[in-house]
Amino acid sequence: MTLLILAAVALGTGLATIFTSGERRSLALAIGLVGSLIVLGLALVMPDTDSLIVGGVGMVSTPVVRAMAVAWSASLAVLGLLEIAVGGRPTVVGPSLIGLAVAGVALATRDPASSMAALAAGGVAGVVVPGLAGWLDGPDMPSRLPTTSRGTLAILGSGLLGLGVIAWGASAAGPLGGEGGPVSIDPSAQLSLGIALLVIVAAVAIRTGLIPLHVWAARFMEGVSPLAIPAAFAWGSAAFVLVALDWSQVALGPAAASGGERWLIIFVAMTSVVLGGLAAMVHDDIEHVLGYSILQDAGVAVLAFASLDPGVVAAARNWLVASATVKTALAAWASVVRTTYGGHRLDDLGGWARHSPALGVAFAGILVAAIGLPNMALFQARTDLVSSAMPGIGQVVALLIAAMPAIYLGRIAIAGLAPVSPAVRAGLSGRPRWTGGRAAGWSGGPINQAIRAIPVELRANRAPLMALGVVALAVMALLTATGGAGG
Amino acid sequence: MNLALVAVVLAIGGGAVLAVSTRDGAVAAIGIAIALVGSALLSDPLPSAAVLGVRVVAALLVATMIRSAMRTGPRQPSPAGWPSEALLATAGAVAGLGVAVGLASVAAASGVPGGLAGVGEPAPGGAVGGGTTTVTSMALITAAGTSLLALGAAPLVHGRPGPRRAIGLVLVTQAVLLLRIGIAGPAVELEEIAREALLVVAGATGAALAIATASTAAAHEAAETLSP
Repeated sequence: MTLLILAAVALGTGLATIFTSGERRSLALAIGLVGSLIVLGLALVMPDTDSLIVGGVGMVSTPVVRAMAVAWSASLAVLGLLEIAVGGRPTVVGPSLIGLAVAGVALATRDPASSMAALAAGGVAGVVVPGLAGWLDGPDMPSRLPTTSRGTLAILGSGLLGLGVIAWGASAAGPLGGEGGPVSIDPSAQLSLGIALLVIVAAVAIRTGLIPLHVWAARFMEGVSPLAIPAAFAWGSAAFVLVALDWSQVALGPAAASGGERWLIIFVAMTSVVLGGLAAMVHDDIEHVLGYSILQDAGVAVLAFASLDPGVVAAARNWLVASATVKTALAAWASVVRTTYGGHRLDDLGGWARHSPALGVAFAGILVAAIGLPNMALFQARTDLVSSAMPGIGQVVALLIAAMPAIYLGRIAIAGLAPVSPAVRAGLSGRPRWTGGRAAGWSGGPINQAIRAIPVELRANRAPLMALGVVALAVMALLTATGGAGG
Repeated sequence: MNLALVAVVLAIGGGAVLAVSTRDGAVAAIGIAIALVGSALLSDPLPSAAVLGVRVVAALLVATMIRSAMRTGPRQPSPAGWPSEALLATAGAVAGLGVAVGLASVAAASGVPGGLAGVGEPAPGGAVGGGTTTVTSMALITAAGTSLLALGAAPLVHGRPGPRRAIGLVLVTQAVLLLRIGIAGPAVELEEIAREALLVVAGATGAALAIATASTAAAHEAAETLSP
């Protein structure tokens, strides 16, 4: 029941935020922030063994649902605060709340068709709202509108493709529509299972923007606020992959990934892992690094489809929730750096960590969480996913994949320790300061002065406060990377 | 003999052909409304009043949004003309009946009682027709779905941005939703809500993007007029 209340609150406040954002920014941000805090409270008190029947379908809130709701809503509350500080059109909290609502319901629902339809419907806002805002803010860049259009088609198309293959699974020709027995070992049935697996992986590839279907995603990330990227890609994609994995495991089973399909899936996934990692390493633009690192994470998750083993699927759950939290923190860092220093290329960001120690501490936490340590759930999940796909060499390949974030995030860290560049020096100070809190002409008593000083001090310390928000997200990333999703 | 379902399928096809072929925005919106409301009614027996209400409201909402997009957008009739679109819709429907036959034969071979979607198989939803050959309601739903898919795919994939692409998006979404029922059986109530939400989102997104495209085109025209 708590999950339903959470979904209703998130959906209501998310829609209200989007509808009021055009005319009344402050009101929209306030609604979004209050909504995300209420949702966080509900997620924290939500039991992880709750179940009920809604509309003829059982809904069970599992530990994974709870972990995702807590991690997403907590990071959303911080993103909401950062959005207030960063400025611009409110494009982050509204779509994220809608995405959170549908993801919670979709992951708890025992009917995959309902889940897929809900995810397709709820995921569109995460692309359309920031995409149209980016287009409105960049009148000299008309290509942003076609990019938004392609993104919308990708989100809806992946959902419709998923819906189609789920319908096939429940049809007379599918494994669940016949006598409901175990999967047939008939060769033609095996072939149809394999094709169904490839179709659902294709839907996942479209949704997550795997290479070579990544062009729209890369263009999209260039034109929107980095704060809007987690809802559209990290969390939205994670929910989609989780639903697709659950369906594949139940309807198709490990037998579907026994032939050439297995190698095709590994090839597609590893292409994104390797090329995404390399692209993140060579790009100087921090938004590109963020985008390609998310793509690489999605590639690692897709490896779970190559075996559909229950243990590997559990590892994928841990991986998806932990990597989404880490990438949310990285997106927040990128947004704050851009707001604080104006630049987004490494050449312009020399000495950013020296200038803002809190941002440096946060980035160190993100770096550790992204790479992982051997006893962390994220590290273990990555090793399990890669080892299941490539028995024998999996451990080595997993270490190589873990080294990639060390390189591309390490480059950013080295830039932060370099001598302070003129652009960074000219930016907002990342160190806290006290202005005295007294505006000209004030003559009130101490309490009045203190109250009136709050907004003045908040504005004066905007940069360190934003950095503090990123520190909070980095701590969350470390906690989730350590504990996983309970899957 | 339930000829009403056949009439509904014909209305869906007719409405969709009208929507993609006409130059007039209002007529296109009427065509979309006919196709979507027809899809809401394409069920035997009819669903509960609440589910039916959700379906019809969603259909009318989408038609309204498409109409609003067509007020400002450019006129984008089908380059092939309505006779070609009608033939395409017919071909799609025949293909859908073929799919239904295939599924019925698979169901018969695997011993599933009462094939879901087939020609010649008695379905839970009852059969249309008589004598030796019967067309199940599921087969008609599949045929309507493939017909809409055939009509909507071209505007969605190859059409220029604007109202035509929005119509294509709505038709393809409705097509997949019909195919889902046609090949896998009726949806539960929760899925009905999610399906209609998806349809409304598809319509709203298509309309929003069409309006944005129209405003871009208007801005370009204004800039060209002002330039010496």
